Amino acid sequence: MPIILENVSFSYSRKTPLETLALRDINLRIEKGEFVGILGEKGAGKSTLTKLLNGLLKPETGTVRVDGLDPSLREAKRRIGMVFQQAADQLFCKSVYEEIAFGPQNFGYSKKETEERVYEAIEAVSLDHSILSRDPFSLSGGEMQRVALASALALRPDYLILDEPITGLDPVGKKEILDALKKVKDMGTAVITVTHNLKGFFPLLEKIVLIKEGRIVFQGSRESYLRKECVPLPPIASIMKELRARGIPVNPEVFTVEDALEEILKVKFALEKEKQ
Amino acid sequence: MIRLEEVSYSYPDGTPALENINLTVKKGEFLGIIGKNGSGKSTLALQLNGLLKPQTGRVKIRGMDTRDPSKLPGIRKLVGVVFQNPETQFVGRTIEEDLAFGPENLCLPPVEIKKCVDMALAETGLQKYKYRSPKTLSGGQGQCVALAGILAMSPECLIFDEITSMLDPESGKAVLETIKKLHKKGKTVVYITHNLEELYDADRIIVMEKGKIRLEGEPESVFSNPSLQALGLALPSVIELAELLKTHGMVIPWEKTFSPKSFAEELCRLFLKT
Repeated sequence: MPIILENVSFSYSRKTPLETLALRDINLRIEKGEFVGILGEKGAGKSTLTKLLNGLLKPETGTVRVDGLDPSLREAKRRIGMVFQQAADQLFCKSVYEEIAFGPQNFGYSKKETEERVYEAIEAVSLDHSILSRDPFSLSGGEMQRVALASALALRPDYLILDEPITGLDPVGKKEILDALKKVKDMGTAVITVTHNLKGFFPLLEKIVLIKEGRIVFQGSRESYLRKECVPLPPIASIMKELRARGIPVNPEVFTVEDALEEILKVKFALEKEKQ
Repeated sequence: MIRLEEVSYSYPDGTPALENINLTVKKGEFLGIIGKNGSGKSTLALQLNGLLKPQTGRVKIRGMDTRDPSKLPGIRKLVGVVFQNPETQFVGRTIEEDLAFGPENLCLPPVEIKKCVDMALAETGLQKYKYRSPKTLSGGQGQCVALAGILAMSPECLIFDEITSMLDPESGKAVLETIKKLHKKGKTVVYITHNLEELYDADRIIVMEKGKIRLEGEPESVFSNPSLQALGLALPSVIELAELLKTHGMVIPWEKTFSPKSFAEELCRLFLKT
């Protein structure tokens, strides 16, 4: 069963002079096990969309269903994990163990079951067991973000929603989170992330949703996204696009350094051959 | 302008943050400082205007030693710092009030304070927001207010500690453009980041790791240094591609790597030559 949004619209400060329409006519379907990137400029409505997915906000019109359930129901909440941009904002316990155990305890799982889930979660994000006794606020940014991620994973969600999970981290911290997310996805959880970081996320994304001024202007596979005009692209894909615009026949689906090198060398060899 | 001699500093829990740093920041320079988390960048920033003092060695700001408490007001007037999270440095109810806080503390007469505030608003393009509360702004605007708050005190040197890392790319670029404009007008800028891409046109870059300066030089030489990755930094993918192309005899000049368009144009030129 998927997450389904039908004709969803949402405004902030409704029925006041400050009313602003954040999202309109959103139709979206997210399947289990997908890796989805929600892209768009600041203020496009990306974060609002994530809050509608997990029931923090209720749609003004239209419906949101998580496996057929209203997302504000407790059972739906268990199926959806959420990680915010600044991990420090969602940590509040004295030790990492308590932090990760908080969710399972709240859902009434036994002590043994909770412990099992804490260890499972900590391993999923590749953190050492020794971290469990530490104070979450003594950790590095990347570690804190992984603890926030583990806390969400401890409920074994079917869908994991993240809002800019690698912003503010250094390259090492970014890679740690990306690796952890890949692992989570491979275990069958859908990963839905809002991001501006095309370079980091692009290799992982299977489906892309581009939002502009509150509307979905594109949704589809990464491959079809790369072929579209006027969308934000990772730097290497932009170079490939510029080359095609100049009549050089390079593969439009290329976005990694290695593939780009191969494409460019192919053109070079073809030209050399022609000359001979 | 700023000179660090043999500066070492450890935090109270014993973690060494800086070891034997020798560094001179020249007047009018745009100096980029880069390094992964925990490399000592922010500790270094705090040393540059006396918020932290060296345990060994000395930091001198135009000859004034930061360990001399009587010199601190003079130092703070010369060097201003903007941090990662602007909300932690707002004090006023409106932006105008917030910007007046610095000059007020410098005991300037009200007429002068108004001049300082108006100048700071103009430099950052915030005039139309002057009666708004700083808390109602977007992240990028918030950083501009924090920057304006420092500008109102007319420092000669501005230190920025990862100010764009929580912003989206567009807002980050806008803030960086404002800073570059100020640099062109003669301000000395020390810009700390872990995003190499922001330092393309810095005058000089230093790379830090474990409290030490590991690399130093112009952007071109630093970006093409093979040890960057070992220092925990990611090369921009465009530079990575340019470096790989070089090994196949296709040389893309440094300044052509700044935009996808110029990169592609240069490639086409190379194709024509073959």
